[in-house]
Amino acid sequence: MSLLEARGLEVWFDLEGGGVLHAVQGVSFALEPGERLGLVGESGCGKTTTALALLGLLPPNAEVAGEVLFRGEDVLRGGEESVRPHRWTDVAMVFQGAMNSFNPVRNVGAQIVEALEFHGVAQGAAARARTGRLLESVGIPADRARRFPHEFSGGMRQRAAIAMALACEPSVLVADEPTTALDVMVQAQILELLDALCRDFGLALVLVTHDLPVVAQLCDRAAVMYAGEIVEEGPVERLYHSPRHPYTRLLFAATPDLSDDGAPVASIPGAPPRLDRPLVGCPFRPRCDRAFGRCAEERPLLRRVDGSRAACHLNDVPG
Amino acid sequence: MSVALQEPGLVEAPRPARRRAVWQVVRRRPSAAIGLTVLVTIILVALLAPLIAPYGLHDEVGPVFGHPSWSHPLGLDDGGIDMVTLLMWGARISLVVGFAATLVSMLVGGAVGVLAGYFGRWVDVVLMRITDYFIAIPDVPLMIVVAAIWGPSLFHIVMVIGLLLWTSTARVIRAQVKSVRERVYVQRARSIGAGHLRIIFRHVLPQIAPLLIANTVLTIAVAIFDETALSFLGLGDPSRISLGKVIQNAFQRTAVSSGAWWAIVPPGALVAILILSCSLIGQALEDALNPRLRVAHLGARRFRLRPLVGRGSEAV
Amino acid sequence: MRGADYVIKRTGFAVVTVLVAVTLNFLLFRLAPGSAVSNLSRVPHATQETRLALKRQFGLDKSKPEQYVIYLRELVHGNLGISFQNSQPVWKNLKSDLANTIPMVLLGTVFSIVLGTLTGVIAAWRRGTAVEHATVTTALAFYSMPTHWLALMLVILFAGWFPSGGMVNDFLIDPTWFQHIKDVLYHMTLPALTLALVLYGQYTLIVRSAMLETLGEDYILTARAKGLRPWTIVRRHALRNALLPISTLIALSLGYIVAGAILIETVFSWPGIGRGVYEAVIARDYPMLQGAFLVLTLSVVFFNLVADLIYFKLDPRITS
Repeated sequence: MSLLEARGLEVWFDLEGGGVLHAVQGVSFALEPGERLGLVGESGCGKTTTALALLGLLPPNAEVAGEVLFRGEDVLRGGEESVRPHRWTDVAMVFQGAMNSFNPVRNVGAQIVEALEFHGVAQGAAARARTGRLLESVGIPADRARRFPHEFSGGMRQRAAIAMALACEPSVLVADEPTTALDVMVQAQILELLDALCRDFGLALVLVTHDLPVVAQLCDRAAVMYAGEIVEEGPVERLYHSPRHPYTRLLFAATPDLSDDGAPVASIPGAPPRLDRPLVGCPFRPRCDRAFGRCAEERPLLRRVDGSRAACHLNDVPG
Repeated sequence: MSVALQEPGLVEAPRPARRRAVWQVVRRRPSAAIGLTVLVTIILVALLAPLIAPYGLHDEVGPVFGHPSWSHPLGLDDGGIDMVTLLMWGARISLVVGFAATLVSMLVGGAVGVLAGYFGRWVDVVLMRITDYFIAIPDVPLMIVVAAIWGPSLFHIVMVIGLLLWTSTARVIRAQVKSVRERVYVQRARSIGAGHLRIIFRHVLPQIAPLLIANTVLTIAVAIFDETALSFLGLGDPSRISLGKVIQNAFQRTAVSSGAWWAIVPPGALVAILILSCSLIGQALEDALNPRLRVAHLGARRFRLRPLVGRGSEAV
Repeated sequence: MRGADYVIKRTGFAVVTVLVAVTLNFLLFRLAPGSAVSNLSRVPHATQETRLALKRQFGLDKSKPEQYVIYLRELVHGNLGISFQNSQPVWKNLKSDLANTIPMVLLGTVFSIVLGTLTGVIAAWRRGTAVEHATVTTALAFYSMPTHWLALMLVILFAGWFPSGGMVNDFLIDPTWFQHIKDVLYHMTLPALTLALVLYGQYTLIVRSAMLETLGEDYILTARAKGLRPWTIVRRHALRNALLPISTLIALSLGYIVAGAILIETVFSWPGIGRGVYEAVIARDYPMLQGAFLVLTLSVVFFNLVADLIYFKLDPRITS
C-alpha cells in the first residue's frame, strides 16, 4: 500500500459553448513516503489538473473518473465531502508563484493561524507562536506575520505559502509550478528550501513543472505527461540517459545546457493535439521523428520497460 | 533556465470573426435571443403603426376611460382614445427618442473615448477629468433643470438625454481603445506611416465594435427610461405622444382613482418590456465579451464523479 | 497616516466637483436667454421692497462675472433667493423638504440593500442553477420597471390597505408623538417599498457580480485546499472581499436614488425634495429649482466621497 496513489484518473471539463475537454486521460502513479515525483510536460498537458485532482480541487464543470488513494483509502469516491478531511492535514498544496494564495485584505499570519485553528493543531496564542516558528523555518522573520500579502515580495510570499502548507504537518506536499514567475535567484532559493524541508520533515513531494532542470535537482522520479496521459515514468537519471519515449528524448535534448556554448537550442516543432476531440493512435505521432504505421492506428499503453514505464510502440519493436 | 518548449496553451475554441461574434452570442444565450426577438417585434409594430393601428390616434371612439372590451382589448384613455392605438404610436416616439438620444450619446462618448484612449497623455487626462465631473453630477436632476429651462420639444429632449448619457460609453471605449492601441498590428501601421484617422477607422473601431454595440443597447434602455421620467414630470414634448406621456396623462387625469388600471398598466408594462429586452441583450453581450466572470472555485454545485466501471488500472 | 494622499485627493476631487456643479448651476440659470429664468427677483405676489432687496442682494444689475462672485458669496451664507411659490427663503423650504425625504429614502434604501445582498449572494452561490436564473431574471424585471409606473402599480394593488398619498393624515387631530410616528410610517410604506423594489434589482446584480468575481480568485482556491468548509470560506474570505466593489457600486447608484426619489414623491405627493423639484418645474419656480438641484448634487457628491473613504478603510492595499 502506497502513501498516495492515483489509479486511472480521468478528468473531463464541460466547455462554455458545448463540447467536452478530456484534460486527463488515464493517469496512474504511486508515491511512497519521502519519495519525490516530478510531473513534467508542456502547458495544457494536464499536469496541473492532475495535481488538483489529488486534492479534489476541481471546478463544478469537471467530471472525474478513477481513484485517488491515500494510505489505501479512496478519498475521491464520496466527492468533495470525502476528500475535504484529508486536505492540508494529509496532503497540502503550494500553488504557482504568480498566484495570490493569500487573501489581500487579511494579514499573512492570520491566514496561517486559520489553518492551525481549523484543524485543531493549535489555538489562540499557541497558534500565533507556532505561526511565528513556521515563518522562521522558511526564512521570514516572525514579526512579519502581521503584514499584509502585498507588503511581501513574490519570493517571500511563496515562502510564506510553503510555511502555511506545512502548518498541519502533512505527509504529502503537492507543488504546482512553485517557481513560475519568480526571478531566477529567488527560484533557486525556493527550490533549496523545498529540498531542505522535504528532507527534514520526511515529506513526499509531487512537483508539477515544465522546467526539466528543476525536476533533475529536486526529484527522484519523474512522470512525463503529454496530451493528458503519462507517456513515460521512471528515475530521473534513466529518463535523461536512456529515455524510452521520443517525447522524453526530445524534451531533454531541448534543454539548453549552460556549459555548452553556442550549441543550437533544439525545440520540438508542432503543437500538442486538441483535447476536445477523441484521439486516434498515438497523440505524439504528428511531432514524432520516429513514428511508423502502427502509431497512426493504435494508442500505445504504458508498459514497463527496463525499470521505467513508457507508452510507445517503439519499445515493442525488437532491437 | 527553462526548456524551449512550444507554448500552445490550453485548447480553446477557435476565435470567431469579430463581426460574427455578436451574432454567436445572441444565438447561444436564450435570454439575449428572447430580448432581441421582442425588441425587433416592438420596433416593427411601432414602425408600421400608421398602417396597422386599429383606430385613429385622435379618434374619440368611446367614453372617458372606457372599459376593455372585444373591440378595445385595452380599453380607452381619458380622451376616449383606443389604448392599443396609443401604445403603438407611443412606442414610436419613445423608440425614436431612445435611439436618437443614444446616437448623440454614442457620437459624443465614442469621440471622447477614442480620442482619450488613442492619444493618451494630456488629452486623456483632460477629457477624463471632464468625464469624471459629469459622472459625479446626478443626471436626472440635471436633465430636469435643462429641460425646464430650455423648453419642451422633441429635439430638446433628445439632446438633453444624449448629452448626459455619454459618460459610460466614453469610459468603456477609452479602456478598449487603450488596449487595442498596444497591439502589434496597430504599431505596425504606425511604423509604416499610416495616419491617425486611418488607423482609428480601419484598425481600432472594428475591434471595439462588439463592446460598443453592448454599450449602445444598454444606453438605449436608459434613454427610454429617461424619456418616460421627463414626460412624467411634464417636460416632454406636448405635441407628441410617447409612452411616457401616456402614463403621465393617466396619472394627471386621475386614472387611478377612477379604477382605470388599463390606462396605466399597459404603457408602463410596454416600457418595462422594452427596457428589459435591451438589458438582456446588452448584459449577455457584455458577459460574453468581457469574460471576467470565470468559473467560481466555490459554489453550491460540485464536481461530478463517474462511477467505477470495474476496470483494472491502466498500468501494466 | 496611511494613504493620507488618497484621502486628500478624493476630498479635493469632491470639492472641485461641488464647485463645478455650483458653476454649472449659475451658468444654466443666469445665462439662459430672457429674464424669465434668470431674474431671481421676479417673485410673484412679492412687494416692491422685497424685489428691490433681492436685486441688490444678488447684484442683478451688475455684469455676469460680478454676479457669479456675488452668487458664490450668497451661497456660502445660505442665501438661495426667494421661492416664487410661497415667497419663503429657498433654503427654508429645502430644509423642511429634505427632512421629509431622508427617512423615506433611508428606509427604502436599507431594505433594498439587505434584500439585494441576500439575493445576490444566493444567485452567485447557486451559479448555473434554476435558482440563479430565476433570481437574476426577477431582479432584471424589477430593474426595468419605470419607477413612477411601479409606484402607480403599488397604489393600485394596495388601494385601501395603505394610503396612496401624502405624509400625514390631515384628519388626525392633535396626535400624540407616538400616533404621529405611526401615521407617518403608515404613509411611508408604499413610497419606501417602491424605492426598495426599484433598487433591489440593481443591487442583486451588483452583489452577484462582485461575489462571482471574488469566488473566482486564487485565494479562494487556496482556502478550499486548506480544507475549510464552504460556508466558512464565504463568510471569512469571499464576503469581506466582495464588500469592496459592492461599496463603490452602491455609491454609484446614488444617482438612481435621487431620480427615484423625485418620481416616487411626485406619485405619492410626498412632501419631500423630490416633489419639490416637480412642483418647482410646474410652477416655473426657478430659484427653488436651482436650490433643489444644488442640494441633490451636493448630497450625491458627499455620499460618493463617503463611499470612497469606506472603500479606503476596507482595502489595506491602498497606500500613498
